[in-house]
Amino acid sequence: MHLQIKAMQKFDPKKLRQTILKMAYAGSTVHIGCAFSIIEILAVLYRSHLNLVSNDPEDPLRDYLVLSKGHGVMAQYACMRELGWLTDDDIQTYFHDGTVLKGLSDAHVKGLEVSSGSLGHGLSVGVGLALAAKRKHTNQRCFAIVGDGEINEGAIWEALLFAAHFELSNLLVIVDENGYQAMGTTDEVMSLGNIADKFRAFGFETREVNGHDELELDRVIHDLMNLNSKAPRAIVAHTIKGKGISFMEDDNRWHYTRLTEDTYKSAIAELKSQEPLSIS
Amino acid sequence: MRNAFSSALVAAAKSDPRILLLTGDHGYALFDEFRKACPDQYINAGIAEQNMVGVAAGLAKGGFRPFVYGLSAFVPIRVLEQIKLDVCYEQLPVVFIGDGAGVVYSSLGSSHQSTEDIAALRAIPNITILSPADHYEMTQCMKLALTSARPVYLRMGKADLQTVHKSLPDFQFGDLCNIKQGTNKMCLIATGSMVSTAITVSKEFEDVSVWSAPCIKPLNIDKVIDIARSHELIVTLEEHSIYGGLGSAIAEITSEHCPTRVHRIGIQDKFSKLCGSYQYLIEEHHLDFESVLNTVIALEIKHS
Repeated sequence: MHLQIKAMQKFDPKKLRQTILKMAYAGSTVHIGCAFSIIEILAVLYRSHLNLVSNDPEDPLRDYLVLSKGHGVMAQYACMRELGWLTDDDIQTYFHDGTVLKGLSDAHVKGLEVSSGSLGHGLSVGVGLALAAKRKHTNQRCFAIVGDGEINEGAIWEALLFAAHFELSNLLVIVDENGYQAMGTTDEVMSLGNIADKFRAFGFETREVNGHDELELDRVIHDLMNLNSKAPRAIVAHTIKGKGISFMEDDNRWHYTRLTEDTYKSAIAELKSQEPLSIS
Repeated sequence: MRNAFSSALVAAAKSDPRILLLTGDHGYALFDEFRKACPDQYINAGIAEQNMVGVAAGLAKGGFRPFVYGLSAFVPIRVLEQIKLDVCYEQLPVVFIGDGAGVVYSSLGSSHQSTEDIAALRAIPNITILSPADHYEMTQCMKLALTSARPVYLRMGKADLQTVHKSLPDFQFGDLCNIKQGTNKMCLIATGSMVSTAITVSKEFEDVSVWSAPCIKPLNIDKVIDIARSHELIVTLEEHSIYGGLGSAIAEITSEHCPTRVHRIGIQDKFSKLCGSYQYLIEEHHLDFESVLNTVIALEIKHS
């Protein structure tokens, strides 16, 4: 397979979820479910696909990871801690007065490419980054993660039209299809129909994956980015909001709920009781 | 003025491949020259302004210098949040050109008129607001915009009015340009299309000073205080709402630093009502020569 056991230990999803629980508990913050659904996606991107030149978040030749669904930013913080871009102190003081890390992706933080969370912004900026790379012939790629709720925004579809028209083959849009948005399921709030079909209709090379299967994610990203095609790429990742903690999974209250001492302890205990990494 | 804009942009783009022009499918004849001279630097982003501004932010982050063109009803108004968050928050060097500002697109109605663009942008940090009155000011504004490392909004209003300067004025960001220096205790400060009207009106009075404000944000506070100290009445003129534009900016400074009577001539709190030519709408909004003259006469009588 593509992944070796040793390599998989870096960006271990279990550890990333643990970091997020620590942050969310330390800062009494929300959006835990939004972060948990993209853990494996980020783990695979950071581990095997993002070219982070010299481990420098500002290297001009780096690949870009654009978190357009800024609500999942704790997942990115957890990865940045693995990279040494954030310290344990940053994690422990999350949301304390006068600290740098906010509750949504913020481009003033080294390692975060866009200020998002006002939805439908990040993808367009990512499209601009991909276009800039194309024009400079730098081989840089842009990986943009959007939420399924986020694609209610009209600007997303403007960005898709543009990316296809300008043949941004160095752009991969990953839709975190966890089926929920703030006030309910996507079906209840604003029916999306078949998202993959919509991306195909917009001219994207599109695949669907289980967004929590790292091996499948790794293989599909690899295959897509090596396709001989001028089209931009898309993955619709079927995910579970709150994935990893049984009482959070598919329970949209964890969009807004804060951890108590009890829920924090039982979430950490559950993570610890889970099997170590299973390698197929 | 449009020619001055186009030739400055073409000349700059020819020597700097980082300059890109993005348009939301507007600028039919305006960009003929640019498209001929620098076809690879011309990007028609389609009728999709929100994405266009986001893309411009990404291009700027990737080392380019985007110029984003649209009608001022759309750029900045439709894309205000993208300008705020994607561009201004990061202080990216993106220049926005809002064409047809004020009631230039008179007969097309309210969708194409913009009398709120300055007000909307003034409250956003990090952006400079330019509002040239003639081709000389436009040339200098473009020179400043091209060297700015921060976001700039260039407001392009009615473009075929009389020239207000005799030569290229050497102003910097924040400066007011003195057009006429006089001893009258009343003075006029105008921006964009209304500078021309201000000059004509000033001729009906004895020795009235006239300033043009090609830069509305930032404004040189000391200069405004200077003007306030040597006058008892400041009349501001703009083809923009009386709320949040040049008049408000002047009144904010004087009331805080040097209380002086400021009368704002601009568009009252209302939309244009009927279809009509530019001149018709300017009259409807009482911004034509006769109306402004009558307003200023009444002010002077009341004041003296």
